[in-house]
Amino acid sequence: MRRAFRLRIGRTHIAHEVDDELAFHIDMRTQQLIAAGRSPEAARAEAARQFGDVDSVRSDCVTIDQDRERAVHRAHVLEELKQDVVYALRTLRRNAGFAAVVVGTLALGIGANTSMFTLVDAVLLRAIPVSHPEQLVAIGDPSRTSSVSQGSPRVDLLSYPMYTDLRDNNNHLVTGLLASGRTGRLDANLADSGRVLEHPRGRFVSANYFQVLGVPAAAGRTFDGTEDRAVGAAPVVVISNGYWTRRLARDPRAIGKTMTIDGADVAIIGVAPASFSGEIVGTSTDIWIPLSMQPVMQPNRKMLEDRSTSWLLSLGRLTPGVTLGQAQAGFGAMLHRALIDYPIPGQALTPEQIRRMRIFVDAGDKGFSRVRELYARPLVTLLIGVGLLLLIICANVANLLLARAVARGREMSVRLAVGAGRARLVRQLLTESMVLGLLGAAAGLLVAWWGSQLLLWMASDGASTIPLVLRLDLPVLAFTLVLSVVAVVVFGLAPALRASRADLASTMRSGARSLAGGGGGLGARGQRAPLGKMLIAGQVALSLVLLVGAALLVRSLQKIQTASVGLDRDHLLVVDVDIAARGYSGDRLSNLAVDLSARLGRLPGVAAVSWSENGLFSGTESANTVQVTGFTARDYSDTVAFYDQVGAGYARAVGAQLLMGRDFTDLDREHAPPVTLINETMARFYWPGESAIGKSIRISDSNSVTVVGVVRDIQDHELDAAPVRRFYLSYLQHPVGEAGSLRFEVRATGDPAALSNRVRREIAAADPQLPVGGVDALTFLMRQSIQRERLLTRLAAGFGGFALLLAAIGLYGVMTYAITRRTNEIGLRVALGARQLDVVRMVLGDALRLVALGVVVGIPLAIGAAQLLRNQLHGIGATDPAALGVALGVLAVSAVVAALLPALKAAGVAPVVALREE
Amino acid sequence: MLDPDGGLLRGTLDILILKAVNWGPRHGYEIAEWVKTITEDDLLVEEGPLYTALHRLEKRGWLSAEWGVSENNRRAKYYQLTASGRRQLRAEVSSWERYVRAIAKALAATSPVTA
Repeated sequence: MRRAFRLRIGRTHIAHEVDDELAFHIDMRTQQLIAAGRSPEAARAEAARQFGDVDSVRSDCVTIDQDRERAVHRAHVLEELKQDVVYALRTLRRNAGFAAVVVGTLALGIGANTSMFTLVDAVLLRAIPVSHPEQLVAIGDPSRTSSVSQGSPRVDLLSYPMYTDLRDNNNHLVTGLLASGRTGRLDANLADSGRVLEHPRGRFVSANYFQVLGVPAAAGRTFDGTEDRAVGAAPVVVISNGYWTRRLARDPRAIGKTMTIDGADVAIIGVAPASFSGEIVGTSTDIWIPLSMQPVMQPNRKMLEDRSTSWLLSLGRLTPGVTLGQAQAGFGAMLHRALIDYPIPGQALTPEQIRRMRIFVDAGDKGFSRVRELYARPLVTLLIGVGLLLLIICANVANLLLARAVARGREMSVRLAVGAGRARLVRQLLTESMVLGLLGAAAGLLVAWWGSQLLLWMASDGASTIPLVLRLDLPVLAFTLVLSVVAVVVFGLAPALRASRADLASTMRSGARSLAGGGGGLGARGQRAPLGKMLIAGQVALSLVLLVGAALLVRSLQKIQTASVGLDRDHLLVVDVDIAARGYSGDRLSNLAVDLSARLGRLPGVAAVSWSENGLFSGTESANTVQVTGFTARDYSDTVAFYDQVGAGYARAVGAQLLMGRDFTDLDREHAPPVTLINETMARFYWPGESAIGKSIRISDSNSVTVVGVVRDIQDHELDAAPVRRFYLSYLQHPVGEAGSLRFEVRATGDPAALSNRVRREIAAADPQLPVGGVDALTFLMRQSIQRERLLTRLAAGFGGFALLLAAIGLYGVMTYAITRRTNEIGLRVALGARQLDVVRMVLGDALRLVALGVVVGIPLAIGAAQLLRNQLHGIGATDPAALGVALGVLAVSAVVAALLPALKAAGVAPVVALREE
Repeated sequence: MLDPDGGLLRGTLDILILKAVNWGPRHGYEIAEWVKTITEDDLLVEEGPLYTALHRLEKRGWLSAEWGVSENNRRAKYYQLTASGRRQLRAEVSSWERYVRAIAKALAATSPVTA
């Protein structure tokens, strides 16, 4: 199989050989001619003439030889690779148990990484499924996919007039500009479906929506661009492939059918392609409705006229030749200009202040996404986490390979002895690792397939899975392949190098002995231990990093869950009633609120009841600009405060602590003096060092209200948010319109969830037609609001636990191995009078020294890594001593357990056995 | 066989080379001399192309080469037939003979044969 000689490759080398060969010929011919009687000069000239064009023959020969060399080399390498693969497969089949363990752990590691990357790909990397997404430019804050902001013009969301300005007058930056906005909950039914009410997910879109995206209809047609011409002129919708399948059984006759949405009859004109899930990543849209239908479906919301109602996000297709930078500058200037032309009421912002307002004009290839905003950081964190986990797995596999390399020491020595090169052996061992790695990767893809679905399910709030398209597509497969190759190098290289260094003489000499000892021989003794032990220390260090990360997240979650929110969190029930469905507004709405509140208050088990427009940890949020006499705003944001409209006795009902002044009462009605409650953050901000009571606030340049009370800060919607300025207006004093909402806060004496049915019955008794949305305990809503944190924590804890288990198994393996090797020594010690306790202490000491080494390396690593988590921690620092302590404690206990088993085994060694083995 | 310019027909040189090393390893000069002797100086107009052909045949795997020492004690590159070279020689010889027989038959014809 091995060639007796091998030609060196290389141009000069080949050229020399050709030169020698041709020179030999000409010399021979010359000599022959001289022998025939020619003079040397004449002979040489004749020889050259007979030969012909030496230079061209020479260069032809060199070219041919180079080709041949390359072909030979390639064939040789391929042949060796084939041999190595066949040999590796045969070896692995003979060690099926070993192979299964390695492939299994690798599959878990690679699978976990691929699952995570599949999510990263779907959420952060993949472009939306439209034609040439790279040509798109996005205008608006991509995370505000279903926001409506009223009260003042903005630049992070567009109002309809602002959108049409940009669409019609953008200096040809884009060839088309679309807009889309939320619909809120839709009440829809299909004409002949027996009037079953359903709530498809809709989106209002501009008439050019499908044209700009370049998405054709899969059936029927899409909007033709004329639908926006007049309000209500185009009562048509395009439905998604999913909705067509789910609700209409893919019936082609569905096109042309009429459905009623929020009271308006609209015709289905087409179905979008199956691949098209809309421009919002992480939500799926069932129905696209022209913007011009908004006033027809929601007659009380003036969302197409009002410049201070911002709710649209926009995508434009860049004109060929226009760069993203030019679009950013151009649209940015237009947006800033709009704020000067249409100033925020009551705000005289200087051009300087306006220019400082953040503009959102960015690449539009990934569309918009709330999910992306929420999960970008956790996903990257988790990706780092699974990456570490894979490293630990690699260390474990490396250790297994090392152990096996020792067992194969003789095989290697024999192969070295018969002349196999060291590089050749390393290559063969790496091929073996590569086979393991690729098998692991293949199995890992299977793990990833359900792993990513599982992750998505865990990230979703239970009711419905976040509609993300998860695919094992090219980037994912490439990621997996690269990952497994890297893993192979990480776990395979050291053992391969180590094995190929097998000390010939000593391994051969110790052959008999190592067979008897059931483990490595003398040759291995001095060398295997340090690398194996270093790997264990490394595993311990990496596990510590993961454990500290997990402990920090767990502590942070605990802090969030137990933090004071300024509410009676354990006793509140939040009840959402749909007043719009029954057309309540004005006085009727006020009366309904007072009546229902009184009815609910009479129920047994209810301590107090009040109501609000926005609700707690659900529903909506409101903000407005305020002016305070004597306060000079440095910035626009200084004038913004959140607010809610709340019922009588609100502070008492929700369990808020009144710091000063009074709560709202039934008397804070329409013609009474206008009043407000503010939170302590707002009080401190506008009136530092003095009492806010009696001070007045002008809200959005219209009505002035007087502060009558200050409450302790309440976390209304997010547990982990920093306190914001917030004020409360009396619901009865500022009746909300039909577009408003009504939510009751019911404070129970016991478990609020137990009240749920009684509350529903009582509302039905007051108005049987009034739809009741959610009736949820506040603790439930809070838990939902920290879904993301809980997921991150759960996964991090899972990774930490798995890492710990692997490190413990590694430690156990190495210690067991060490003890097997030292059976004789231990037996001798026992024979010489060492007590069992001494043996246990000795073995434990050895193990714990390794762990200590890992900890010493791991602590700085963990502290460094924790810095990456800093933004995801709430209420604790990245170097929280408690978290570090817990992680170290868990690690120490696990290490002791893992080392104790081999230690006890060692203590049980009978001197006779050990001596007999020798 | 000569082409109109007095050169060897394509492929003819290959078969001669293969034949030249049929009895054992030879270096290029020996092969050239053998070809000259055996064809009475008629065929090989220039010796250079012989070497291009040798290297090409080596690349095809019909010849293998090894450096050795010549009769006058100089380093020389010796060519010898490989197993596939031997098969190739047999194949070429038999197809050459078929060709020659066919031509000879045609030239020996005494009357036009019509279909």
